[in-house]
Amino acid sequence: MKGKKFVYSQKVAPYVFVVPFILSFAIFWIYPLITAFTMSFQDIGAIDSEWIGFKNYTKLLKDKVFLIAVANSAKYMFFTLVLLIPFPMLFAVLMDSNVVKAKGVWKALLYMPALTSVVISGTLFRLMFTEYKTGQMNLITQALGLGTYKWLKNGWSGMLALLILACWRWTGVNMLYFLSGLKAIDTSLYEAADIDGATPVQKFFYVTLPLLKPTTIYVLTISVYAGLAMFLESYMLWAGNSSPNNIGLTIVGYLYKRGIEKNNMGYACAVGVVLLIVALIINFTQLILNGTFKKEED
Amino acid sequence: MENTKVRNLSHSPRRIIGSIFGTGFFAALCAIIVFPVLAGLLASFRPGTELIRRGLAIDFNPKTMTLANYAYLFGGNADSKKYFMWYRNSLVITIVSVVVTLLICYFVAYGLTMYDYKLKNFLFTLVLATMMVPFEILMLPMYKEIIKLGLIDTYTGVIITGVVNASTVFFFRQYLSGLPKELLSAARIDGANEYYISVKIILPLAKPAFASMGILSAMGTWNAILWPLLVLKGAEKFTLPIGLNTLLTPYGNNYDVLIAGSMFGILPIFIIFLLFQKYIIDGMTAGAVKG
Amino acid sequence: MKKKYVGVLLSVAMVASLLAGCGSGAADGAAAADAGADAAVEATEEAAEEVAEAAEGEAEAAEEEIPTSTFGDANGTHLEMWTFVELHGQHYGKMAEIWNEQNPDRTIEITCTTYPYGDMHTKLLTSLEAGTGAPDICDVEVGQYPNVVAGLDKWLVPLDSAAEPYMATMVPARMQTYQGSDGHYYGAPYHVGATAMYYNVAAMAEAMGISNDEVIAKIDSVVTWDDYVKLGEEYKAAIGADDKYWTSVDTGGVDWLWIAMAEYGDDWTGGFEGPANVKLDSVKKMLTMQQDWLKSGLAMISPDGHVDLEAGFQNIMDHNIVSFPKALWFMSRFTNYMPEEKGNWYIAKCPVFEAGQKCSVGIGGTGTVVTQQSQAKDLAAEFLCWAKMSDEGEQNIWDTLGFDVCNTAQWSDDAFAHDDNNQFNQYFINYPYDVLNEIGMDNIGKISVVAISPTINEYMCTTTLNEVLEDPDYSVDDALQECQDAVDMEQ
Repeated sequence: MKGKKFVYSQKVAPYVFVVPFILSFAIFWIYPLITAFTMSFQDIGAIDSEWIGFKNYTKLLKDKVFLIAVANSAKYMFFTLVLLIPFPMLFAVLMDSNVVKAKGVWKALLYMPALTSVVISGTLFRLMFTEYKTGQMNLITQALGLGTYKWLKNGWSGMLALLILACWRWTGVNMLYFLSGLKAIDTSLYEAADIDGATPVQKFFYVTLPLLKPTTIYVLTISVYAGLAMFLESYMLWAGNSSPNNIGLTIVGYLYKRGIEKNNMGYACAVGVVLLIVALIINFTQLILNGTFKKEED
Repeated sequence: MENTKVRNLSHSPRRIIGSIFGTGFFAALCAIIVFPVLAGLLASFRPGTELIRRGLAIDFNPKTMTLANYAYLFGGNADSKKYFMWYRNSLVITIVSVVVTLLICYFVAYGLTMYDYKLKNFLFTLVLATMMVPFEILMLPMYKEIIKLGLIDTYTGVIITGVVNASTVFFFRQYLSGLPKELLSAARIDGANEYYISVKIILPLAKPAFASMGILSAMGTWNAILWPLLVLKGAEKFTLPIGLNTLLTPYGNNYDVLIAGSMFGILPIFIIFLLFQKYIIDGMTAGAVKG
Repeated sequence: MKKKYVGVLLSVAMVASLLAGCGSGAADGAAAADAGADAAVEATEEAAEEVAEAAEGEAEAAEEEIPTSTFGDANGTHLEMWTFVELHGQHYGKMAEIWNEQNPDRTIEITCTTYPYGDMHTKLLTSLEAGTGAPDICDVEVGQYPNVVAGLDKWLVPLDSAAEPYMATMVPARMQTYQGSDGHYYGAPYHVGATAMYYNVAAMAEAMGISNDEVIAKIDSVVTWDDYVKLGEEYKAAIGADDKYWTSVDTGGVDWLWIAMAEYGDDWTGGFEGPANVKLDSVKKMLTMQQDWLKSGLAMISPDGHVDLEAGFQNIMDHNIVSFPKALWFMSRFTNYMPEEKGNWYIAKCPVFEAGQKCSVGIGGTGTVVTQQSQAKDLAAEFLCWAKMSDEGEQNIWDTLGFDVCNTAQWSDDAFAHDDNNQFNQYFINYPYDVLNEIGMDNIGKISVVAISPTINEYMCTTTLNEVLEDPDYSVDDALQECQDAVDMEQ
């Protein structure tokens, strides 16, 4: 009976709840994380491996191609944050209002792209952005009398293609996050705002936006990592990991190119560790500034 | 939604214009978004050579359209049997994994949100950190571990490493942190124990979160490829994405089956979406909070 | 409302268990969650296992219905084989049946599993590194080969003795491509992948107003690149259209450069000893020549980078180009993707810079290896070499895979090379093997695939070729120097 009381106490309960995480972390994460970290200081060969200290890291920072990859990933992350947070949020608020009819249809359609496998969507977008005259983008420019354009050979248009693909796939998903976030808002607050005579715009800024903050922080955090770690989209769009002048190369693409494709796991791990550190720094700065770690004030 | 009802009690002309604009906006947005899906759908009704000849031509010329790809897919031939074997494998993995993942992640998030204790932020930091490691550098050690645990070539091995999914935990945590804490103290005063509260009081309020995470997690599992492929051996155990990806090779792509197979592969997740999305709508209704 | 929610979960769980043919496992898992979080973990893990087991059980029960990729004698030695092209697996299946007829005392059973291309190599390397889980026999794409052969005889079984009976007539360049740094042969090739020039005779005849035979006579008289350019200019003048070109040059592939290197006997990788040097005269010559073609309007840039892509096929079918060099395996692209071009195309030797040079090089390919993790290494090696190099093997490779086989003994065999039922013999104006015989096995250059190869290819395809071809006034020397600098960083 005492044991039961112990487990049921408010002090112990939280630990019981997080046991699955602790178990999974201990069994499936600690060893791989430590191994990956150690490997990043090694030259992993097929026959034997040797300890080389920081050589992987120094080589990495000297490599111009890596800097291109970092710049591309950072640019991509920045634009996805700009495009894939405010707009889906507005769409969700609009969708949640009563001015939209047939909501189920629109939600289902907006969600469709995320369901399509990357392999197929990548192929479809590659065919749409082909520099040949049959691509949809070139059909548009030709109709406007501008002739064809090499979309996937120029920096700006390559990034544009990536961003269009990203917006196409994730707008519906992020809208879904915000929609469920909106449901956590106590409706009495809107009633109170109505009584005070607030306009819809005021209600958005003074009620919706602050109370949507937990969801926004979530979307922001995962978008930062997803943006920095993007690879598959680029791989599918250029039918491989090589894009002209590396305009589509990302950090994880570089990890594949120099690590996995050449079976240089030590180097791959160094790239992975750098990515982890960059993502952690950006996200923890953002999370701390947003007060996510603060104790709840009752 | 109650709030919207309060906002607009009358059927004013302003409201009608509003709904024309609102609805029109989403109709336009969806038209753009659906375009590539439509292109894919059309391509699935054409021979693969058409795709190569004309690209993603958007037209409904019945002369070039054919049901052959789907007829082949459902034809009961060896490829079609394999396809549905993979389909079933993917369904099993997805459903089991989604149910297990959602429950576990909910409780972990609950433990990380509803209490104040020393290790809380440390544990939460660990959760977030696991989200930001590229899987590619973990796959070799993780593969070795799964072999040691005797889980290689089992669905358990595929599912188990992902049941505590950091982004799902994080989402639940953010969702739960938005709920009023008075609910807990009120329940405790009524004599409910911690686990009863988590299951009977808070869980129902987290329905919208469960629904959206269910959709997301199903989508992720359904499309996952690298880890299932490392764990599984033999075509009998493959999942649908592994199987479909075998159709893309440096020696040429089998677009006939690939596109039709992928388009039909959207269906289960779409059904899950339709099943779950209505739970996003009636989530934390005012009634539950006000008691 | 809560009940409704649990109901959904339960029904989902039920579907899961129904699908797996297991009544209670998953539902138990869902219900047990009420008991507390950790109980839920156990129960759900159990449920997952049960469902998985049940699914496995059912898979066994329904074995007769499930299409199997296992071939041969169930009582024979079992071999596991991985590939990334389903047709390759079927090749081994068929060969296993013949092998068992010929070797009733050493029968085999082979299970061929097709994996997605990139991931198969990742999985192979992961299992080789982990020391467990690798198959007996595995296909390795030539681009990925350096990673696998790096393990030498720690990972792979040398095929020297198993290949010995066939070596005299195998194209030497192809065998050498799959050598390890220790000189042993670790991979068995499917094809030569000999480069040749494809010409659209029908389009040329129409534009130039002469008969097909006259066009073919003109093509046959082309020996050097100068001849090739002259014929191109003749075509260009006849067609008189700005958007019709003689050929297209690649920004996303290095085939043209390998042809140039083969002609001069160069190798930019420097082989196993290195060092790599891309600033070769042969490469410079080819790039400079291509720049001239672009400036004079003789050539266009291959849409999307090279001809082996959707846009490339469209470009060919729209007759925007009427000639291009490519390996002989490109024949299957014609039959698979360009049926409407049947009867239009002629295959000929590639032009050379100076008469008497080698005029072809083996491009692309897949080497099949035997791993040290195999329980029956010798048998696997013997079977593999037989399946890929013997008369029976080569016959099946040509019939089902459509590759230009490496065993030259077949090339001059009339029944083999001139079989009019063969789809390629039907599709093209001339017999592909006649072109191979004309080239000759010793005139096919070798591509070295070593650790530095991916670096060179990558830099060429991402940067160098884009620089010099997208801007034909860009200095070839500068571009190659940049490439050399990047390569030097890696060696």
